[in-house]
Amino acid sequence: MLKQYPTLRYILQRGVWYFLTFLVAIAINFILPRLGDRNPVDIMMAKASQGLSDEAVKEKRESFEKEFGLIEVTAEGKIIHDANGKTVKVSGFNQFLNYLKMTLSGDLGKSIQKYPKNVSDIIIEAVPWTLALQFPSILLGWIFGNVLGALAAYRRGVFDRVIFPMALFMSSVPFFVFGMVLVYWFAVVLGWFPAMEAYSGALNPSLSLEFIGSMGYHYVLPFFSIFLILAGGQAIGMRSMGIYELGTDYIKYAKWLGLKETKILSYLFRNAMLPQLTGLALSIGSMVGGALITEMIFSYPGLGMAMLTAIGSNDYTVIQGCTLLVTTSVLVANFSVDIMIGFLDPRVKAGMQMGGK
Amino acid sequence: MSAIFEVENLSLHYLSRWGQKIHAVTDVSFSMKKGEILGIAGESGCGKSTLVNGLMGLFIPPLYPTSGDVRVNGESLMNRTPQDIRSNILSRKVSMIPQGAFNALNPTRKVKDIAADVIVAHLQKGGVTRKESYDLLRERFDLFGMDTERILNSFPIQLTAGERQRSVIGISTLLNPQMVIADEPTSALDVSTQKVVIKMIFDLLEKNIFSTMIFITHELPLLRHVADNIGIMYAGEFVEYGTAEQIVFDPRHPYTKALMGAMLSAEPGQREKKPVAIEGAPPSLAKIISGCRFAERCPSARPDCKLRSQAIRMVAGRQVRCEYAD
Amino acid sequence: MKLLRNLLKSPMFVIGAVLFFGTILFAIFAPFFIDLKTAMDRVGGQYLEPSGSFWLGTDDLGRDYVKLLLQGLRSSLYVGFLAGVLATTVGTLVGIYGGFKGGIIDDILNMFTNLFIVIPSFVVLILVSASLEQGRSLTIIALLIGATTWPWTARSVRAQASSLKSRDHISLARINGANTLQIIYKHILPYLASYVFMVFIMQVASGILSESAISMIGLGPMDNVSLGVILNQAKNAGALGDGIWWGIFPASIIITVIVFALFLINNSMEGVFNPRLRK
Repeated sequence: MLKQYPTLRYILQRGVWYFLTFLVAIAINFILPRLGDRNPVDIMMAKASQGLSDEAVKEKRESFEKEFGLIEVTAEGKIIHDANGKTVKVSGFNQFLNYLKMTLSGDLGKSIQKYPKNVSDIIIEAVPWTLALQFPSILLGWIFGNVLGALAAYRRGVFDRVIFPMALFMSSVPFFVFGMVLVYWFAVVLGWFPAMEAYSGALNPSLSLEFIGSMGYHYVLPFFSIFLILAGGQAIGMRSMGIYELGTDYIKYAKWLGLKETKILSYLFRNAMLPQLTGLALSIGSMVGGALITEMIFSYPGLGMAMLTAIGSNDYTVIQGCTLLVTTSVLVANFSVDIMIGFLDPRVKAGMQMGGK
Repeated sequence: MSAIFEVENLSLHYLSRWGQKIHAVTDVSFSMKKGEILGIAGESGCGKSTLVNGLMGLFIPPLYPTSGDVRVNGESLMNRTPQDIRSNILSRKVSMIPQGAFNALNPTRKVKDIAADVIVAHLQKGGVTRKESYDLLRERFDLFGMDTERILNSFPIQLTAGERQRSVIGISTLLNPQMVIADEPTSALDVSTQKVVIKMIFDLLEKNIFSTMIFITHELPLLRHVADNIGIMYAGEFVEYGTAEQIVFDPRHPYTKALMGAMLSAEPGQREKKPVAIEGAPPSLAKIISGCRFAERCPSARPDCKLRSQAIRMVAGRQVRCEYAD
Repeated sequence: MKLLRNLLKSPMFVIGAVLFFGTILFAIFAPFFIDLKTAMDRVGGQYLEPSGSFWLGTDDLGRDYVKLLLQGLRSSLYVGFLAGVLATTVGTLVGIYGGFKGGIIDDILNMFTNLFIVIPSFVVLILVSASLEQGRSLTIIALLIGATTWPWTARSVRAQASSLKSRDHISLARINGANTLQIIYKHILPYLASYVFMVFIMQVASGILSESAISMIGLGPMDNVSLGVILNQAKNAGALGDGIWWGIFPASIIITVIVFALFLINNSMEGVFNPRLRK
């Protein structure tokens, strides 16, 4: 089936795989929190039950349990009580089905701490900041690191001897450590850049020149803290890939044919980039993780910060919403990279036709 | 007719990371007239492939020339810049058909783009555009009776090993080089594909796309049908150099004899003869070897062989590097 | 042995090994000279600057940073090794089995491996850590890290094992009637040993990094201090904004140096195994 359309077949195959992975991710998001010794209703009750009568506490508890889908309700939303006046627990599997249904329709539940605020609203406020910070810094860091690595591989010599140890060192610095070093040096000691937040607290978000300027000013340190660390790791990978490709027969042949150096470099860069792209797809999860922590260092109002606030206040539903969104975007990124590689590397599709993955 | 390709006492070495010289090729000399085919045979690791780079004047570190000269049409290839060699010699005067051609094509480029890259690299200054280069290409591939459109529009992985090898030969000879160096062009191919490839090379010779060739192989018997002259290489040296007739039917150097012995079974009709493997391994080239390099493994070595390095001398009308050969 | 000689020629390896083993020896033997029992005790004022009596100053609770850092270093190394051992053991077993046996079980294992590679491991870490209140110990965190990072080992070991599988000496052993276990033990493990060691090095590094990251965001161990916990407390106490550099940098430097040393070792080994990277 679809033999004649290898491209379509490839996209479909990857798509189905990623969709299944997504379902597993939802399941993990559902199950893991229930393994621990914390329970959202308990957390909310601890806050809400002060000064209430026993009857009121019971009612409150039931309404929370209803809110979190833990007990059976009628079609009109009334709580069902059994003969002893007790609520009827929803089975774990049905809870999961409800959770799945809600999640797929975009409903992530309500925040525990900011009840009755929707988790999705909290996330929607945070996402633009995270996108604005992470997308450019990860992408540019990836490109910069790869160019540097390819040049180090091709030129070797002094250039390599300087770049390589530097890149190796950068790649071993944790994101948050580098973030703190930047804050300490450029914000606290030198005072060149602000240490925190995404814009000056004195301004209200607007499209004014002043506000945008303030945003740019606050953008510099977090951007570089992600950009440089990432570039270091990518340069290391690209350098080994480049050196490997340099030894391949087709590069030797290109030299024997008298192709220009720039052409050979373009062969080299393009082909060494393919495994780097796969590497990007595979490590995008840990990159996003590191970058989220960078947000926390800078109190940048993105997803990382939302997650940190939620962790600090035990707001479990928000944590869950954030992790699900992160997982989903990582899967989407992976899927896009897979498709891109399918188009860029004829070996991938050909390999698939021959029955391999 | 005067020689178009002359190699004079060529020695090459690699420089290791710790400054150690590895003398991969020592004192190789030969000359070729237009239309001549020279076969070079030897075990793998004898320096054949290193010699190829030297013959094209292509010295990419860590490979360096030690001494000697290579001349094409009387013009020396030594002491020239890589740019000079690249734009004036490679592909145009001396071209190369590499070993293991199935990996020689860039896996992420279509055959036509790889070929057009070559034309553009050399003829762009002469005003040939990329579009014109495609026409040139089609014309040439049609000449071989190949499935031109399909092959040119394919990525290497979509082609069979034979198609790739033939594409490589086509690309290497696009610019009608004066000299072609074929480095084991048939190794790692199955027998029927080998025949197709050999036929294609002779087709090209016949059609006068090029006329002079060095054919490198570890299969000595193959050279009998192909070459006019044969040089036998051992541990970086030519140990015997003469006409194909002389080398194949009347070898004089103990190594050539051993090599013929080891190869005989490959010839049909002589299957019953057991091949005699040559015991031992060639010497390490990291040290300067004072005596005869083959002495360790030579069945007819004498005690003093290890003491003197061997010079070329004439035996029965060919050059032999062995003072006891007769 | 030849391998070790080659490695010792590489300055990168020597620097990395000296740094790493120096750190380990320090972490093991320093407690004989520095009493760690009082590590959690208030011994001075809040944020005292480094001085003769407190070489690296004190933290916001007046604890001696030298002792805290030593304790934190030991915790971080413990987490790194425990997570590394777990991830390497599970990953190697799964990888060897999958790469060597093939078949339906390999397909399933491979699917799991790929699945848990794309699902970010820190998501799992956060979800589990956040749901644990009392039980969040150093050991649990280490085990969690190991349980989420083994797919990386499995993936690379599997690739190596399946390339080994088709080599001649293995087919020969097979023809000679050796069973799978013998083949793995006699023919595959020795070849893989140095490779697995390199993967182990990287897993230790990533274990140390993961622990410090998870602690940094406030989900660290409740029963002990680690380098990440120290940084988290310093950050929460506003050390960064107040310019209390001794609260931030010593711990940061220790983490970075350990990880850098491990990267140096790994990279120099890669250079020795892959001759093309040398020159």
